[in-house]
Amino acid sequence: MELAPMRYTPGGVPMVGFVLGHESRQVENGIERSVLCELQGVALGDIAKTLSTAVAGMEMEAIGFLAAKNQRSKMPVLHLTNIKFVEGNEHGLQAEEKG
Amino acid sequence: MSIVRVAIPVPVPQLFDYTCDHAVPTDVGRCVRVRFGRRIETGIVVELPATSDIAPARLRPVEQILRDTPAMSADWLALTRFVARYYHAPVGEVMALALPPELRRATTVDIRDDDPLLALTPAGHTALNEGGRPSRARRHLAALVEAGPTRKSVARQWPDGDATADLLRRQWVYPAAPANPALTPPKLPTLTDEQSAVLDAITTAKPGFFPVLLQGVTGAGKTEVYLRLAERSLALGKTVLMMVPEIALTPQFESRITERFPHARIVSLHSGAGDMARSRGFLRALEGDADIVLGTRLSVFTPLPRLGLIIVDEEHDPSYKQQEGVRYSARDVAVWRAHHQAVPIVLGTATPSLESWRHATDGRYRHLRLTKRAVAAQMPTVRLIDTRRAKLDGGLSKPLIEAIGQRLARKEQSLIFLNRRGFAPVLACPSCEWVSACPHCAANRVVHLNDRRLRCHHCGFDSPIPIACPDCGEQDLQPLGRGTQKLEVHLTERFPEARVLRVDRDVARSRGDWLALLAKIHAGEADILVGTQMMAKGHDFERLTLVGVVGADAALYASDFRAPERLFQQLMQVGGRAGRAHLAGEVLIQTEFGDHPLFQCLKRQDADAFARLALDERRQAGFPPFTFQAMLGADAPQLEDAIAFLQRARDDAMTDLPAALMLYDPVPMRMHRLARRERAQLLVESTERAALQQFLGVWVPRLYRLPAGRELRWRVDVDPLDV
Repeated sequence: MELAPMRYTPGGVPMVGFVLGHESRQVENGIERSVLCELQGVALGDIAKTLSTAVAGMEMEAIGFLAAKNQRSKMPVLHLTNIKFVEGNEHGLQAEEKG
Repeated sequence: MSIVRVAIPVPVPQLFDYTCDHAVPTDVGRCVRVRFGRRIETGIVVELPATSDIAPARLRPVEQILRDTPAMSADWLALTRFVARYYHAPVGEVMALALPPELRRATTVDIRDDDPLLALTPAGHTALNEGGRPSRARRHLAALVEAGPTRKSVARQWPDGDATADLLRRQWVYPAAPANPALTPPKLPTLTDEQSAVLDAITTAKPGFFPVLLQGVTGAGKTEVYLRLAERSLALGKTVLMMVPEIALTPQFESRITERFPHARIVSLHSGAGDMARSRGFLRALEGDADIVLGTRLSVFTPLPRLGLIIVDEEHDPSYKQQEGVRYSARDVAVWRAHHQAVPIVLGTATPSLESWRHATDGRYRHLRLTKRAVAAQMPTVRLIDTRRAKLDGGLSKPLIEAIGQRLARKEQSLIFLNRRGFAPVLACPSCEWVSACPHCAANRVVHLNDRRLRCHHCGFDSPIPIACPDCGEQDLQPLGRGTQKLEVHLTERFPEARVLRVDRDVARSRGDWLALLAKIHAGEADILVGTQMMAKGHDFERLTLVGVVGADAALYASDFRAPERLFQQLMQVGGRAGRAHLAGEVLIQTEFGDHPLFQCLKRQDADAFARLALDERRQAGFPPFTFQAMLGADAPQLEDAIAFLQRARDDAMTDLPAALMLYDPVPMRMHRLARRERAQLLVESTERAALQQFLGVWVPRLYRLPAGRELRWRVDVDPLDV
């Protein structure tokens, strides 16, 4: 996962953009295959603050919805509504201690 | 029982008759209190007619003639009546505009000099000669002896200035009568040959009306010419009227005058001065008690019994034209006044208005020039930077960024000029069509990110930046475009070692703020200035050697035919801030239209070439100054009502339209909605000024009788600036 630096919306809400990497194996038409993709995402408010403490490469579960990037590009962007680091808070704490 | 004819500030183009049992001819020009409807108004007696058209029984008596205040002079009455006639405004409204606030309110004004010259009394001399303990008061006395009679305000600035009040209390000093207003400090700057030639041309002209267009490049020392002319006028016992576009912006100018003429009684009239100060200045001028009147457009109405010379600095400046109420052009009124009172008038500028330039080339004005800078060795070099294919970094091109870097290394100042305040001119939603439109105007609200507000720069509507798009809920709203705040943020990031100072109306809210900012710049406490047009006018910063112009192209897209003229004037003026002292100056202009003739003239700094070019265009298009215009504007809550009124006005005119007149169709104005009112305009044009005036004289009185809705307002603008 790549994280952009946290910034604020004009209304003063913290906001962070990121690229979510995904890697797994899935079954397609009865055959297992590997899946590799990237998805642009954005988080606002408290989630943005939590996320900004994370470091690239961390694993997490993300819940959200997809919305078009803007009026010109209809590419989907993942808007997070909930996140959970897969191994609890450990990574986050370790990252803080190292930093 | 006699009849007095009174001008009252009401929107009706007529005078009103009252009776008065003790009116005498010297009451003409005096303020009177009269009953108008249910109110009491302050009016001015303009005549004592023998009879009235109104039956004597129906005339009301005057409540009071204000005899404590001197009567307005015949000149002043003639001036205001001319303005009412030429601009087709009710004479009572013109007089009310020309009168200072305290007179309108009929309060008594103490006109004693509040800044007298202080000189030593015999007791003061004795106290000084006795020696005694070397106190602050004695040191201050000694300083006064050294300097001679000195203005109180000046003496207070001296090291022991605190003791001034003490000296007055002990009666060691007294307010002395000014000896010679033309007295100047012994060491004056040496005049250049060009300055001397200009002075000779004006001073050797035969007395009477003598209009001069003084076209001098930036930094050519026009002010020194003004001061020498003023000195000569003062020596002859005459008063000088000096007009500037905006006094608050150029405190330097004011202090140069007070320093040059320490004994002159200087009256400073501008909106920054308090009501009482303005009224006092006006009355002192009326009594002939002012040697120099310095002021903005309103000062053209100051009564000046000893008038000897009028100077209009930056005569091209649009702020000489009042844009509300009585829409007069103070420059044009000044020219009329000079003619009426038979005195010389000097219109000074680096970039003449096309109107004045044409008069000068036609020989109606004497065209005098200053082509070389007085102090600096040369004019700044002007370079155009093509931004069509260049990659911009926060709106700044590579050459401009490098040039700023060089100035930083040399410890010189740079000014980046962007005539748009705020962070970004519009906030837009990336996910839907929403933009930060003003609910009351046909304009967008501007993003002010520092205090997180959206502000309409037209009606002042102010609201917080919404957290999310009001239409679709998107939170990541985008500020589009660039204002001074954004540029400031970017420059601070780009040059972290530099001290970046933004100078616009948002930082310089009060005169105090503005003076503090100027002091900071003069003291060299800023490296990069980001400024709007506030920075363009008249300033002289010694270490400022680079002017970068950003976002100038926007003006080329404007539909106003005067937009190029204004852009040229503005860029010449702001460019002129570069390299005014001994360091060479450079001007970099970012544009996508480097081949545009305007920018080519700018590059050569050739105001004449631009004037010729622009006048050719105007001639071909039949625009002013080749035609004469008046605009009837109407506004109402509904656009149809405004248009309908203008259509009635047009139909009315068409019944007997003179051949030399041309009436356009009523159309919505470019800013068709302002502060919840829909606005429309009807343009009247003629090839002859006299024909236009004659037509307006017949048509405007008829407009008062046209049916108009209660909510409709209309006005006539003669020689409008914005068409």
